[in-house]
Amino acid sequence: MKPIYQILSPVIGELVWDQHPSDNLLAYQFAYLNYIQIKYSSNLLEARQGFTRLSLFWKNIKSQQQFVEQVSDIELIPLPLSNTLWQVPVCYEPEFGQDLNALAASKNLSLTELIQIHSNPIYRIHFFGFLPGFFYLNGLSPLLHTPRKSVPILAVPPGSVAIGGYQTGIYPMQSPGGWHIIGRSPIAFFDSTKPIPVWAKPGERIQFVPISGTQFRNWKQSYPKSASQ
Amino acid sequence: MIQVLGKAKLLRYPPGTSLQDEGRFSGAQYGIPSSGAMDQRSFRWANHLLKNTSSAVALELSQPGLQIQFTQACLIALTGANAVVTLNQKKVSNSSLISITEGDILEIGSFLTGCRLYLCIQGGFQVERYLGSGSDFDSITFPSKRSTQDGLIYFSYPQSKNLGAKPKWVTSWFESSEIEAYRGADWRLLTSAQQELICSTIFHLSKFSNRMGIQLEELVSNQLEELPTNPVFPGTVQLTPGGKIIVLMRDAGVTGGYPRILQLTEEGQSILAQKKVGEPIRFQLLESIIG
Repeated sequence: MKPIYQILSPVIGELVWDQHPSDNLLAYQFAYLNYIQIKYSSNLLEARQGFTRLSLFWKNIKSQQQFVEQVSDIELIPLPLSNTLWQVPVCYEPEFGQDLNALAASKNLSLTELIQIHSNPIYRIHFFGFLPGFFYLNGLSPLLHTPRKSVPILAVPPGSVAIGGYQTGIYPMQSPGGWHIIGRSPIAFFDSTKPIPVWAKPGERIQFVPISGTQFRNWKQSYPKSASQ
Repeated sequence: MIQVLGKAKLLRYPPGTSLQDEGRFSGAQYGIPSSGAMDQRSFRWANHLLKNTSSAVALELSQPGLQIQFTQACLIALTGANAVVTLNQKKVSNSSLISITEGDILEIGSFLTGCRLYLCIQGGFQVERYLGSGSDFDSITFPSKRSTQDGLIYFSYPQSKNLGAKPKWVTSWFESSEIEAYRGADWRLLTSAQQELICSTIFHLSKFSNRMGIQLEELVSNQLEELPTNPVFPGTVQLTPGGKIIVLMRDAGVTGGYPRILQLTEEGQSILAQKKVGEPIRFQLLESIIG
């Protein structure tokens, strides 16, 4: 699980793992992230994580040069992943999931089956991207993999739960979007009035919990329940 | 000494106006874009002229029409795009540094060269910082809710009318159509014919250009598959399955799934930020990065 390092500019480079996203790979990415953030804290401007890369933005060319000379000697063991499991309420009803019926029909599934296939798995949060507070999840059943819409819609409502390609995610705020919307969560996913604007961390897990339209409308809590399992 | 506070009242606040600085460097962990001035070179030059710290916050304008009134004396610098500038309805010939007295009204008219203008003030605008930056971004600072009733706070410094020799306003550096770039993370996935095409084509900026990204008109057809979502930065150039080239700019999301074919130099990003819709550019590939 030793990555190679690819230099992309005088101040940007990335650690490259040539394999599919997985819990095991994520645990190695965390090990590198943790090590680099401690050992190179005064040289590093920002680290950005993706499914198979860890990109590093250095303060200057010297900082990157120093890392390049040392990277091949780094030997790390994977960091254990968190046991935290967040329960995210989702109302899977056509009122909140405008593409729910069409998607179920295209897959030859009943609504109940589709909801079950989406809400059964436990998903791992790998990183945040696309929009503030948008988490990239691993674990969508291949039965629900669906190409993105060819023409994105202009305004996906905040809290929308959607499927795009082999991924599922939640739009934290109104945005244009090309994913198929199958439901909506009543909770908040990004709040910039807080010093830490999100409630979950990469490495933690989430599960979607189906709720009714009435429950959705009466939902009071801004944050989901969490448990360690 | 008591520090006098001034207020810059935004009498007319055209769309495409925002507060910007060097950018936000600890937000990617939450999916928050870098933001910051699109043309960092001009932004830095303005702060240099005013002897500000590098993190002083400035106004970035991308359309004419700003009308701003200062309640206290101050020194301001205008850099980037060259525009028609008036102070109390009198045309300013060299607007790189302008000494402002109490009650002055400054107006920015049509842009002559370039398309992003920086209005910096001695000491910087005093705005609330989020994750170390005063840069505007929609879901954080809600700039669209800022109204013409609002004012930007600044520290007033008494000014002498005579500023001595003013630096000359230079725009020639961004009038070049050559944009320097390094090979992107996924450059090697392209065929050599595609690589040559990308380096030799004269591309034109499409109307789909904003602070998130600049899309180019000419297509580069490809059979590349979508890749696992991975990090991108301002200056990362993406190639979509439809053949569109998108240069990601300061407000782009921090990750993307399209192949990342080039990474523009800082200078290249600043030049591109000054290009108008329809203007030509050509990518110039740089060979070595670290000797």
